Amino acid sequence: MNFLSLGSLLRRPEAGALLGLVAVLTFFVVFGSTRFLQPAGASSWLNVAANLGIIAFPVGLLMIAGELDISVGAMIPAGSMTVAIISGHWDQSIWLGIAAALAMGVVVGYINGTLVNRTAVPSLIVTLGTLFAMQGVILGLSVLFTGTVSVALKPEESGPIAKFLFGQFLGGTFQVIILWWLALMAIYIFYVHFSKYGNWIFAMGGDKEGARNAGIPTSRLTLILYIMSSTSCAFVGMCQAILFNSAQVSAGMTFIFNSIISVVVGGVLLTGGFGSVLGIFLGTVTFAIVTQGIYFTDFDRNWSSLIIGVMLLIAVLMNNTFRQMALTYTPKKGKRAARHG
Amino acid sequence: MKTFNILKAATVAAIVATNAMAADIAVVGGKTDDPFWNKIKLGLDHAAMFIESTGGSVTYLQLQTYDNLGPDAAQLVRTAISQGVDGIVIPNWVPEAEDEAIRAAIDAGIRVMLMNAGDLEKARELGAINYVGNNEYSAGLAAGEYYGDQGIMNVICVNTVPGAANLEARCQGVADGIATKGGVSNQLPLPATSFGDPTAVAEAIKATLLGTDTIKGVITISAGDADSAAIGIQQAGKTGDVMLASFDFNQSGLDRIKAGEQGFAVDQQPYLQSLLAVSLLNAYIEYGNNLPVAPIATGPGIVDSSNIDATLAGVQKGAR
Repeated sequence: MNFLSLGSLLRRPEAGALLGLVAVLTFFVVFGSTRFLQPAGASSWLNVAANLGIIAFPVGLLMIAGELDISVGAMIPAGSMTVAIISGHWDQSIWLGIAAALAMGVVVGYINGTLVNRTAVPSLIVTLGTLFAMQGVILGLSVLFTGTVSVALKPEESGPIAKFLFGQFLGGTFQVIILWWLALMAIYIFYVHFSKYGNWIFAMGGDKEGARNAGIPTSRLTLILYIMSSTSCAFVGMCQAILFNSAQVSAGMTFIFNSIISVVVGGVLLTGGFGSVLGIFLGTVTFAIVTQGIYFTDFDRNWSSLIIGVMLLIAVLMNNTFRQMALTYTPKKGKRAARHG
Repeated sequence: MKTFNILKAATVAAIVATNAMAADIAVVGGKTDDPFWNKIKLGLDHAAMFIESTGGSVTYLQLQTYDNLGPDAAQLVRTAISQGVDGIVIPNWVPEAEDEAIRAAIDAGIRVMLMNAGDLEKARELGAINYVGNNEYSAGLAAGEYYGDQGIMNVICVNTVPGAANLEARCQGVADGIATKGGVSNQLPLPATSFGDPTAVAEAIKATLLGTDTIKGVITISAGDADSAAIGIQQAGKTGDVMLASFDFNQSGLDRIKAGEQGFAVDQQPYLQSLLAVSLLNAYIEYGNNLPVAPIATGPGIVDSSNIDATLAGVQKGAR
């Protein structure tokens, strides 16, 4: 086993994601300007990546375990509206607002996980149901409590400590949520790649029945992953409300697609069983660079979406090539059948 | 069985009788999860209180999504026809898709009032009574002229839903309005991936401002986007140097206007749109009253430091 050879590095799950990232970075440095890599420019995509990335980790792990979570679209405004209504509209303590927002995430995650475990309904449909249900709950409660669907959370209502922790700009330009994102990544890497739980997740994605028969508590794991996913969304929504001093009912839907795209660009198989935390990280950064890099180029803005689409396809294609290499690799000249994704 | 039939006949007769006595009005509108349609809802709720006191009724037929706007709205018109209403208030969002259904309603003897989207020419063409609302283009025009009067001659119009005709008209209006004062305005269309992601919108505006020093004004097509733009401008280090404005507004936007961090907001007064459209249609059906004023413009109104306090009072009540 030689982990340091070029061949084995290229066969790691995140190798394709890394090359995709390098490709888009090169593209925007060539066609844009180096301002893209200076602090103000770098914050432009790091801020977007951090907000998305905190959600992409649990969404990606769910996908590795063979499940989807569509309800993220509703849980972001759920988090932001909860904290804005409690602390902004009702003038309660910001800590009560934050706790309620996170609790909301735990509850919805619990509902998602339980429904997926107890019913034979595919998780796509279950979370689609909770997506709409939560949108209705947030809208209904917001109108009931505040009479509007856009609630302000003034800086003085957040208070200096909450602003410092969740809504400040480091160095005047980097959202503090970047640090949360990196810290969470470290925790995820530990649990997924250096503890038994990681192998359990991969086993579930590969063959759920088999994993259960082998004694893996698949139901509990599914439940935990859904709780993490919903709570992460509520956390991001809560940070957004504190940072932008306001919350809107209708925000967040774009995170559904964007989180799944980031995860797939990061090398996770749509069918589950393959991927890595570092890959998801790189995929998120790639996605953020592609969507924000466009503003550092001279391309006519009407073509933005076209360039985003083409760049993402290129990133995923590079990824697939390397994943194929990884999955079909056989250490010796043995006749073992290669497993295809 | 016989008793049942008699009962049924009596019920039907009763319904017909109430119908003959007072107007039943259906209002087709957008989802109430955005601030704008919520105010429309409040206006029609208030009009409904009065109409219900005369024995009539008002029903809000709400779109479930905006993905299939025209055909869905046309379908709601047909729903209203089948409910046997006396009047329909409807935005003419997609004329090609909706006109046929609106004509069918008018042919069935239903009175129609256009609201929010459309214009007087369209109302006349279809046989609708009037148009109550705003003209997006003239709202843009007013914003552009306001910028020009303040001596701000280079403005970007941030469009988070490029391609939507009403938003394109707003941005076009800004460009034409500022042009009359000798200025210029370009549109900044954002890709669909950033819609509803405040950080992505803020960073796009920041990057644009950093890239072009000559931009002195940013106007957003919605109130929520203005919250993102405020952070984007601040991040570019240009608060005070770049004047922010928005079409429509929310609480935090008004707070910014009050604090001097936002120049102004263009208001089309949605509360008045539904309140007037429903009340006027009811008066027309019930009593044959008709206003000589056409179209009935509810906007553009400009909210700036001069009238911010009165506006804030209205916001508290959910009407602005």
